[in-house]
Amino acid sequence: MNNQIGDTDTETDTNVSTDSGTDSGLGATAGVETSTTTTAGESEEQVRDEWTDYRFDGPSKLTVENLDVWYGDDHALKDVSMEIPEKSVTALIGPSGCGKSTYLRCLNRMNDRIKAARIDGSVELDGMEIYDPNTNLVELRKRIGMVFQSPNPFPKSIRDNISYGPRKHGEINKGLLARLFGNDDSEKEAELVERSLRQAALWDEVQDRLDDNALGLSGGQQQRLCIARCLAVDPEVILMDEPASALDPIATSKIEDLVTELAKDYTVVIVTHNMQQAARISDQTAVFLTGGELVEYDDTDKIFENPESQRVEDYITGKFG
Amino acid sequence: MSEGYARENELVSVESNVYDRAMDVGIALSIVTFVVGMLTFADAVPLGATGTELINFFGLLLAATAGGVGIVAVFSYANVVPVTSQRVRGVAFGLLVGLVGLTVAAVALPVSLATMLGLILLVEAGLLAAGGVASRLELVDTDPSRTAGLLAGLAFGVIGAITGAVIVGSLPGVPSAVVGVPLWLLGAVALGVGFGALTIGPREDLGSTLPPALILGVFGATIATAAIGVGWQWAPENLSGGFTGGSIIPLFVLFGSLLTSWSAAKCRADFGARGRQYGAFFVINLNAFLMVAVMVAIVTYVTVKGVSWAFHGFTIGALSLLVVLTPPLVLTIQYARAPAGTDEWHTAARQFFRVIPLAAVGSLATLLLGIFVTGTTFEVPYQYAILVDRSTVMLDTAVSVTPSLQVGNLLVIVSGALLFTYFLRRYGSLRDVGTEYEQLSSVRQGLPAAIGLLGLLSLVYIGIGPVLDGLPIGIGVATLGAVAVAALALAPLGPLVTGEGSLADRAHRNSQLLNVGLLGGVALLTAVVVFEWTAVSNPRLGPVAPVGVVAVIAALASTCAAGLASRARRATDDTLRHRILGDQVTLGLAAAAGYLTLIGLHVAATSEVPFVLGPIEIGIQGSLSWPAVLQGAIPLGEAPGGIYPAIVGTIWIVIGASLFAVPLGLGAAVFLTEYAEQGRFTEVVETATNALWSTPSIVFGLFGAAFLIPRLGDNLSLLAAQLTLSFMLLPLVVITSREAIKSVPDEYRDASAALGVDKWKTIRSVVIPAAMPGVVTGVILGVGRIAGETAPLILVLGSEINATNAIDVLGGFAFTTSPPFVTNDALLTSSAALPTQVWAIITAGVSGSASKGWATAFMLLVVVLSFYAVGITARTYFRRKINYE
Repeated sequence: MNNQIGDTDTETDTNVSTDSGTDSGLGATAGVETSTTTTAGESEEQVRDEWTDYRFDGPSKLTVENLDVWYGDDHALKDVSMEIPEKSVTALIGPSGCGKSTYLRCLNRMNDRIKAARIDGSVELDGMEIYDPNTNLVELRKRIGMVFQSPNPFPKSIRDNISYGPRKHGEINKGLLARLFGNDDSEKEAELVERSLRQAALWDEVQDRLDDNALGLSGGQQQRLCIARCLAVDPEVILMDEPASALDPIATSKIEDLVTELAKDYTVVIVTHNMQQAARISDQTAVFLTGGELVEYDDTDKIFENPESQRVEDYITGKFG
Repeated sequence: MSEGYARENELVSVESNVYDRAMDVGIALSIVTFVVGMLTFADAVPLGATGTELINFFGLLLAATAGGVGIVAVFSYANVVPVTSQRVRGVAFGLLVGLVGLTVAAVALPVSLATMLGLILLVEAGLLAAGGVASRLELVDTDPSRTAGLLAGLAFGVIGAITGAVIVGSLPGVPSAVVGVPLWLLGAVALGVGFGALTIGPREDLGSTLPPALILGVFGATIATAAIGVGWQWAPENLSGGFTGGSIIPLFVLFGSLLTSWSAAKCRADFGARGRQYGAFFVINLNAFLMVAVMVAIVTYVTVKGVSWAFHGFTIGALSLLVVLTPPLVLTIQYARAPAGTDEWHTAARQFFRVIPLAAVGSLATLLLGIFVTGTTFEVPYQYAILVDRSTVMLDTAVSVTPSLQVGNLLVIVSGALLFTYFLRRYGSLRDVGTEYEQLSSVRQGLPAAIGLLGLLSLVYIGIGPVLDGLPIGIGVATLGAVAVAALALAPLGPLVTGEGSLADRAHRNSQLLNVGLLGGVALLTAVVVFEWTAVSNPRLGPVAPVGVVAVIAALASTCAAGLASRARRATDDTLRHRILGDQVTLGLAAAAGYLTLIGLHVAATSEVPFVLGPIEIGIQGSLSWPAVLQGAIPLGEAPGGIYPAIVGTIWIVIGASLFAVPLGLGAAVFLTEYAEQGRFTEVVETATNALWSTPSIVFGLFGAAFLIPRLGDNLSLLAAQLTLSFMLLPLVVITSREAIKSVPDEYRDASAALGVDKWKTIRSVVIPAAMPGVVTGVILGVGRIAGETAPLILVLGSEINATNAIDVLGGFAFTTSPPFVTNDALLTSSAALPTQVWAIITAGVSGSASKGWATAFMLLVVVLSFYAVGITARTYFRRKINYE
């Protein structure tokens, strides 16, 4: 819904990104020529800057500039720059090992937890640099939540899973002392649990067994619980790393509906292997291809109907990957 | 029967032929000989038994087996426990046939048990050889491989070599060496190579039957011809003792039966892959059975030796025993109530099995009731020997259950608390059920305030108790509290008994009243009892305050509420209401148990004054008398005295060592696994921890004696013992905790980090709870080791035999106004401990009584097993918590 037509409104904004795109483009071109062992069937071509230069209305939530990631000697992500619009679904697609998950984990600094990873570049959330050495990681990850590939609820009750984040952040106090002094937040917790579970479309299924262990839920329910847990800390951005890859078609479609619903209030960035899924649920799509480069980034319709890059077309039509 | 390979196309071979049956008999015979071998090894049956004794022995075995097989057969026929496997049926049939044959042989042949065993081995050898040859001549359809395999060949080669060496070496009248080579070596090589070749060379059916048959033949012939008979002896020159037939024959029999089971099972399963599997199955199972038998034998032996002294003069009142029996009774009732499986007709039979434990415990309870109704004392008298002045004296004593209605408060507290926790855990929730009255919510808010106020008042009494002695505050507050509790407990009964609608309606509507009344009452009364405890110095509250009476009334009221709720539950069909009323019943029972516990606590708090209710008396002093366990040694006394000081000492050592080691070890493990950079440093620490764990305990003892004791008052002391043992426990806690923390999936850590939770909070609330079962396992293992550790304790704690007083660690704490502010003399003195006492009694020789030593060892076993039980319960609890059970 937001493409080049309206770019007059955000002229300054897009200009900035275009400039930075040009800068990075030079580096990227150099990088592409020297490296890349390509997946079988992938044709050689040069990435052009305008392929990834995606303009949209409205403010951008996340701005990534010249992001490089190395795992030891392996250059996993090469000079990626992109802007992610607010309250929309951005899909990241590409073959295995193309760096899309790495990219996603850069957005809330989860890659910090991997010792071998070295990250270079800039990611801004609402104009604030998250790779600043003095960034408050707790606050950052509260604002940018994450849902993982396989459902990973804690071995606790459903209620405790949801209220885990807020409790650890001190927003809900249920300790013995609090109960003794009568300022215990059970009511607040109950509200929060219900709201989060409703948002994650799980409330009807679990409302009468909130005290049961979350590991007793089915895989699809567990994943929605993880989404609810993520929503409970009230994030602005939700990163999803192939959230439906371990689920059956029915659970997958529930997650997809949920993602569409969530995009009304949140900025969702979703990694997926499933191109139909990307086409169904996303507003814009970024295609990463072998070697960790962002090849094309545009409206989902544009990417799937009329991609600029030959390689992207090959990938989308299933010639490789 | 040579129908070629006709059976190869059949997937299921249901019919057993004569060959299969014969091999089943072989397997069964090997099991019988295995059992008989173990019995003779433990001297349960003399090897020289002949005539009537032998007939009786085999008759007994036959009867036991026939009984067991018969019961299973009946249940199988009735389709309760269907046994459909031909092999299992075959072995059962074989057991019967074999034992009937043996009993007949015992009647017919005038031989001793040893000879009989030799004959059995010969029969087994014949069976195996016949089986192998029949298969080789293809009289039966089997599926043998080309050879029995290199491993079997090696094994039989080694066995053959040993046999050869022994046979050739012991032949009379031959030169001991030929051309410088010892003859036994030649025999060993010849037989070893021969057996190996015989195993590997021919087809599998011969290769895996003939060598064992030959060895069995040798064993059987040696025993049957009495070449090695019962009276046989071999005294090698460089040993002070010797070997007798009594120990060699059972070994031959055990080994022979293992060989038979392997080979016969291979025959039975037609050789090949299935045969190897079945053979291995039997050998491994008999082996495992042997291990278990060894462990059971050790425990049984210690128990048999120690139990007579340990239970000298044991007396308990019937009511006390009944109180002890209540938790098992509740558990068995619950077990019997649990669903019994499918809805087929034999559900009835399963129900029957579920009811059996209840019947057992219930009949015991009825017996106890009988004892105090009839007023007769139940007594089991027995005799045992002790050593007095170097001469054996027989002591007459008895274990008895008296019709006393006295109950010690400790028993009430323990049983009550167990039941309270049990019911409370089963109780779900009554949140948002029924009507919420306005007054009720004000009570709900007022209760914590009242409890807090009582707590505050308790603190005041602890601080300035004597100042308040003149004022009637204590008694007034306690009475007021008790009256409030009575009101709370009785309140739910009113609406249950009268009101509109059916009983179920009323119960449902008043859920909140029940909830607040029962739980609030228990909580308030707990606060009152705690307050009593602090204010007890003066004025005496015990006999005055109506706390005990209120507790009884409240317990009765709760039971009534539970009963009414249960009646209502029975009348309702609605699932949700059924569940709610079920919760009400559980809650009522929990409250009743809680009030009973509080009676015990009330007695403890007001001390010395027993709580009397009609003929029943709950006091500090119950009707349990267990001199061996609850008394110290009596110097120069008539009665043998007890080992209470040693038990207390051991318990304190274990608790102290765990208190030091577990937090330290867990902390170190968390640091090493979660925080430290994985690399050289952690590797070095890991190696060092492992090395420390395998360090001999005496080294720790020396360290404690040389380093700790001079710094801790230069005295053998409990504290030094606790520290020394905690150093021993530490590495194990670190190792197991590290493993447990490592095995917590990284997904949990990622999930927590992605929610913005910092590392320490993640470790505390996700990683450690998930690692807890592993940590507890480590502590269980470690506690098992240190509780029985003797060598270091002798050095740092000394070894007392006849301690008269137990160490009083809790009472030893004293607070002073000058540094070090807290002192504990008890920790700095020596104490008796169970392992050191066992050691001391052994080394004391004639002046110590062996029966006391055995009793001490028995109690040590009991103490260690109790710690295990606690640990395993804790582990199960944590496992349940993290798994969805």
